[in-house]
Amino acid sequence: MKRTTLFDSGYQWIVFGRDPNKAENLIDTNQYMIRTANRCLLLDPGGTELFAPMLAAALHYAPVEEITDLFASHQDPDIISSLGLWDQALPEAKLHAPAIWEGFLRHFGCNRIEYVPIEDAGGTIDLGSMELELIPAHYLHSSGNFNVYDPRSKILMSGDIGAAIESHDAPMFVEDFSEHVEKMRYFHQRWMPSNRAKNDWIKRVRKLDVEMLAPQHGRIFKGDDVERFLDWFEALSVGGAVQV
Amino acid sequence: MKTNTERKKSQFVSVASIATELSDVMVVAKEISLAAANAKAIAYRAGEKARGFQPITDFINELARETIGLVNQINEQASELYETTVSEHRHEEANRQFKAVLELGSDAAYVDSLFPIAGRIEDELGEKRHQLKSQVDRLLDQLSEIMHPARAARVIAANSRIEASQAGEFLQSLLTVAESVDKAAELMYTNVQRCRSSMAMMEL
Repeated sequence: MKRTTLFDSGYQWIVFGRDPNKAENLIDTNQYMIRTANRCLLLDPGGTELFAPMLAAALHYAPVEEITDLFASHQDPDIISSLGLWDQALPEAKLHAPAIWEGFLRHFGCNRIEYVPIEDAGGTIDLGSMELELIPAHYLHSSGNFNVYDPRSKILMSGDIGAAIESHDAPMFVEDFSEHVEKMRYFHQRWMPSNRAKNDWIKRVRKLDVEMLAPQHGRIFKGDDVERFLDWFEALSVGGAVQV
Repeated sequence: MKTNTERKKSQFVSVASIATELSDVMVVAKEISLAAANAKAIAYRAGEKARGFQPITDFINELARETIGLVNQINEQASELYETTVSEHRHEEANRQFKAVLELGSDAAYVDSLFPIAGRIEDELGEKRHQLKSQVDRLLDQLSEIMHPARAARVIAANSRIEASQAGEFLQSLLTVAESVDKAAELMYTNVQRCRSSMAMMEL
């Protein structure tokens, strides 16, 4: 699994993805890790099929007992169906996930890990030496959905927002925005159900200082491409499967 | 030779089929209980002519109660067995996954930190397998136990026929009761036997 460091100043942001051994019929996903001096947070750690390569990759950065926190932006299997296995590996850890999905996510197996519910308005994740903001992104696409914003590194982990369906050898960063647009269009029109929710999210994000917008599928947007993405998304009509 | 997935599937199917078979046994036991109530009413009306039949109705009733009690116990154990089967399956999967992590991450700086957890999972898997085996053995014992009332019911049915023959105009009604007890006992026997075969197919 490819490992790329996004930020390294006092703590690290690392992205894992582009697994060449992944089965063809599984969607490719990006998993993120925040590594502080003595704690680690895994963001959207992935599906069951990805557990072994993901944990093996994480062990390059931290011992297993220092992986103290998990975050699930929403309930989808490619986000967190590995929960039952993390529950065996990290019995002392906490899972930060939307409150409305608790009863559902527990079906993946969550007996030892502590489920920390995130209420609709959002909240924070305290990693001791740093704090992350949980930005509501409901209905984009899931009805209970959050992004993670780090004000220091200015990285916004945006879950499915900004996602693109790509091959496993695609570059990690957007290189040519206008070329990249077509890889995102259908995904956003079809998976995102609500223009109102979309506009609410754009309004929230425009208030943040974002240097990198890091989705769970596809490529990461850097610098001016973040603003380009927000403009493009704002102009896009979503909820495309319903023809009125 | 079955693959691990096939073996696991057959375990889940075996445990689930016990519940189905037992719910049929429960219906049968309730039918026996109803037959006992009918027999009691007929014997009461027949008076002297059915004197020998009256204690039999109590036996039939007792038998039905005992069967219902055993079925309830077995159901509880079958449900515990199902939970253990799920837990063992999860541990088996975790064990397989942790072995894969150790292999994939053999060059990772912190791979050693996983050894105690992988060891714990392996130990817990051993415990789960042991627990599963003793629960299956206990369930098989209980299924043997429930065969006793089934056999007893057939004997009672035979006795009922003899007593019915002396009941004059009530002969036909009491014979019907005897027949229904016999039929119910046979059904119970068959269902429990199916349960046992299904359990025996569980490869542990």
